[in-house]
Amino acid sequence: MAKEKKVSNKPKVAFFDFACCEGCQLQVANLGESLLDVLGLIDVVEFREVMSEKWDKDYDVAIIEGSITDHHAEERIKKIRARSKVLIAYGSCATLGGVNGMKNSFELEEIRKYVYGDKYHYFDSTPTKAVDQVVKVDYYVHGCPVYQPELVEVLKCALRGIPYSVPDKPVCSECKLNENVCLYDKGVVCLGPWTKAGCNSWCTNNGNFCYGCRGLVKNPAKNAAKDIIVKYNLDEKLMKNKFEMYNKAKEVSNESKK
Amino acid sequence: MKYHVLEKEQLDCFIKSLAKKMKVAAPVSKGNGNYAFQEVKTAEEIATEYIPTILPPKKYFMPVKEKMLDFDLNGKEPKETAELDACEMAIFGVHTCDLAGIQCLNIVFNERPRDYNYLIRKENLFIIGLECNKYCDSFASCALVNSHLPNGGYDLFFTDIGNKYLINVNTQKGEDFVESIGLPKASSQEMSALEKVREEKKKVFNHEVDVEPKKIPEMFEKVYNSKLWEKVGEKCVSCGNCTNVCPTCYCFDMDDFINLDLKTGSRIRSWDSCQFETFATVAGGENFREERSMRQRHRVYRKFKFPVDKFNRFFCTGCGRCSRTCMAGINLKEILKEVAEESKF
Repeated sequence: MAKEKKVSNKPKVAFFDFACCEGCQLQVANLGESLLDVLGLIDVVEFREVMSEKWDKDYDVAIIEGSITDHHAEERIKKIRARSKVLIAYGSCATLGGVNGMKNSFELEEIRKYVYGDKYHYFDSTPTKAVDQVVKVDYYVHGCPVYQPELVEVLKCALRGIPYSVPDKPVCSECKLNENVCLYDKGVVCLGPWTKAGCNSWCTNNGNFCYGCRGLVKNPAKNAAKDIIVKYNLDEKLMKNKFEMYNKAKEVSNESKK
Repeated sequence: MKYHVLEKEQLDCFIKSLAKKMKVAAPVSKGNGNYAFQEVKTAEEIATEYIPTILPPKKYFMPVKEKMLDFDLNGKEPKETAELDACEMAIFGVHTCDLAGIQCLNIVFNERPRDYNYLIRKENLFIIGLECNKYCDSFASCALVNSHLPNGGYDLFFTDIGNKYLINVNTQKGEDFVESIGLPKASSQEMSALEKVREEKKKVFNHEVDVEPKKIPEMFEKVYNSKLWEKVGEKCVSCGNCTNVCPTCYCFDMDDFINLDLKTGSRIRSWDSCQFETFATVAGGENFREERSMRQRHRVYRKFKFPVDKFNRFFCTGCGRCSRTCMAGINLKEILKEVAEESKF
């Protein structure tokens, strides 16, 4: 006899992945002790990486990882949206298009041939889109991978039904408070001055530079970029390439579905 | 005035005796010509010759993130418990520019309604100053605002007089400590060595910008609508570095964070910056300092005009941090020069 599964009244949360490396979902498993507290609050009803069960009712919260890169994905995300009360774009691929957006720097036909060879027409492909370029997104957890403390904060806000504001100030604001030596003082191009904070300058705290994985602040300083390039004698092209690594998809169409 | 002396080679003993009583923070090298105040246990770790640290010692007076209270939403009425983490700590090696910064913050946080978190924490801090015998670099403008010499605001103050430190004792707390480790009183010879250091400084430290300090507030009255601010604003990335590193900037934000039980949580105060796009944004989306030029102007007026009107002192201590830290090269001394130039007409 099949066991009748006890249904609790905790919010039903589902994880879905689109074009991505699924590394952000791994960050959930990496939450450590707070994972237990999180699981005390929610029922995870779908999560391909850790369970095989599926859920046939509506989702209280859908957490979407990955970007939308073909027609099938567009249809699938629309169906998920229709079944979800709250939708969270999770990780750079979902929030910005992320590294998949680099595809948009090429002619679509050309890049399809390059990747799939002469059988490319069997493989559907569209310019990379962030989730909010296809459906309405209620919450954003930026980052590649996501910064776990921020995931927990966003989840708490989603469960309480209150907004979460992604900090709209540059990563420098956190980096400076962590008293890191400025990467520019070391002669390294860093995207901190234009990238949204909220990661507690995770990369620069650990000796790396900022790759811009959280996306640009709403009003990035374009003129200042030129001054900084001159002051530190930097290669403008290198800087542009760094910007495009995560932010190309948003450049194509900056409009999000509201 | 009480003066004692410490042989330089005895500095390690001094630091170790201090560390037995309380935590000790001092400037430590971070590489690439950067320094930061960090906890130390020995003199060896300390950079006695350093240029202003990344963050000023204000981080010990008003922590970057500070818990104000815990709250509990279980039960009919919400409950709150005030929190204050203020441990006893010594800060060694504070330059005169940063002593001036602390004095500015003392004035602000003593204004009513008083900020007891700041004031109680301050009572637990033991401040040991250290004189700069020479300039740190060309960004400094301490002589212009008269903070290149000690003007109080410390428990003990060290001046390098060759192979010894001459220590000025300024408080009972300072005296008790110096007595407890049995430091000898300064001889007349050592006192004249101090005179000599000060004489030498007079030759080196001069108004870094060619203006009469008294005239500065008046100058600023004339340039509020100057094109200068647009020029500065165009360079600015709004990263907030200039205010975060400023020894006299004290703006903060307050947020409530709920725990994962969704019933209890804490109220956290954290540093904010007038340079951020969001700082002056209010309900409805209106931003009353929307342009970077307006925000930069505000920052500079908050150093040279508004505090002079209100407290009769500059809130620039001449440490040069804001210029040193700016990736885009916004330079306060250059701004002052332009203000001086423009206000003549």
